[in-house]
Amino acid sequence: MKYMIMMFGGLGASLENRSPEWITNMQTTMMRMDGELRESGEVVDSQHLMAPSQADTVRFQDGAPTATDGPFAEIKESLAGYWIIEGSRERAIEIAAQVVAVTEYPMEVRRIMDQSAQE
Amino acid sequence: MSSEPAIEDLLRDLAPQVLGALVRRHGQFDACEDAVQEALFAATVQWPVEGIPGGPRSWLLTVATRALVDHWRTDSARRRRETSAALDPTDWSAVNVHDMAPGEEDTLALLFLCCHPALSAPSQLALTLRAVGGLTTAQIAAAFLVPEATMAQRIGRAKQRIRDTGTRFVLPPPTERVARLGVVLHVLYLVFNEGYTASSGPDLHRADLTTEAIRLTRLLHRLLPGEGEVTGLLALMLLTDARRTARTEPDGSLVPLAEQRRDQWDTTAIAEGQALLTRTLGAGPIGQYQIQAAIAAVHDEASAAEQTDWPQILALYDVLVQVAPGPMVTLSRAVALAMVHGPIAGLALLGTLDADDRLAHTHRLEAVRAHLLEQSGDPQAARESYLRAARMTASLPEQRYLTRRAALLLSALPSATDPTES
Repeated sequence: MKYMIMMFGGLGASLENRSPEWITNMQTTMMRMDGELRESGEVVDSQHLMAPSQADTVRFQDGAPTATDGPFAEIKESLAGYWIIEGSRERAIEIAAQVVAVTEYPMEVRRIMDQSAQE
Repeated sequence: MSSEPAIEDLLRDLAPQVLGALVRRHGQFDACEDAVQEALFAATVQWPVEGIPGGPRSWLLTVATRALVDHWRTDSARRRRETSAALDPTDWSAVNVHDMAPGEEDTLALLFLCCHPALSAPSQLALTLRAVGGLTTAQIAAAFLVPEATMAQRIGRAKQRIRDTGTRFVLPPPTERVARLGVVLHVLYLVFNEGYTASSGPDLHRADLTTEAIRLTRLLHRLLPGEGEVTGLLALMLLTDARRTARTEPDGSLVPLAEQRRDQWDTTAIAEGQALLTRTLGAGPIGQYQIQAAIAAVHDEASAAEQTDWPQILALYDVLVQVAPGPMVTLSRAVALAMVHGPIAGLALLGTLDADDRLAHTHRLEAVRAHLLEQSGDPQAARESYLRAARMTASLPEQRYLTRRAALLLSALPSATDPTES
């Protein structure tokens, strides 16, 4: 089964008032986990997205698609990055918990749907 | 691909020679390129088993010619056939390429062909790496972080484009040569840059691009030893690549020049770059690569960051802004200006860049501004600039570095920060 583990926020929301030591520790942990998950073969894909302020959002307004600068959600709730892992729900939650322990910021775990028909 | 490095290196060296010979004889760049790929594949399969043949170049040429003739037997190929591009010897002599071995002339013509102005820059890069560099499509795709199928399409379309221009396999005429050489140099510079800026991080495929860029520029330098800008570009690459090891922490994050451990710099590469530079400076009109190389050389001469001869660097930038003006050059000059005349002077120059659209999507203006604001004793503004730059960069190691610099300024702020999004 595949699960997406999602991170949220812009640089301000999750990092404001954090000391340089805290930030360095957080960055090191994230990089280490990236590496471990790749080596264990659990990761199918993982990406970091650019800051939400760099997003464009296309909405349907006055009968036509219109693009504007900025993210869809509030910055602190915008997608910041994701891992897609092959595994169980418990394992996905376990991985997310390891990250949240360090970042102290919420992550969401959601199963990815299968393309094939199921019994 | 062959697991034997000796065979792989040999094939990479011979590939452009064989392709050049084939195209010179038959035209039809795209069909010849396909045929050469088939011959290379046959070699990687057979040579490890049967041993390298006595005349490997002839072997490849024979197999490729056979593949080409087979290809012509199909109806569609016959319909697409063009008149062959015979080589006019007077074209060669007009371009001062005496004393070149036949294979080398072909390689030079191939290099110019791959950098044809009708192609987009990504196509020029991909085709050059493939036809002259001898890299496989898979290797090129990995280097540019695109799927292999995407890169295969890009190369295929580029080859068709060359065919559609009807370009003969000759060097460009003397009147166009300087401009076209400029394009070739720019393509090689882009390849180098792609590898160098991406070389901080775990992906070794990308570091190989700098090696490939240097290799191709060396080749070009051997073919055109009198061209100052070719020498300059080679020197620039060597002097820059010399710092590669010191530039990256084990975890992939960047170390800025001022903080690098200079004992990790490659002294052999620096010496070679300096020697090349000494030979070329003053031997003719000066160009942008020679000046950039000279700037790199001044940095590399300093045994410690504090020893850097910034006034000399500033003087070189004063020349560069005239030879190759542009916002990135002005930005780099602002850094040098600040080192000589203080951060306020640098910030003033940055102010002239704020209206420049070309810098609108790069984080570098903000990053330099942040650094100068920090030096000028304005930690609040510096922190905001660092965070703005961190949001704008597409490079993860760069973002981490800028975020840490912003955090380091927290303790310098007069009171608790206002937790607003900026």
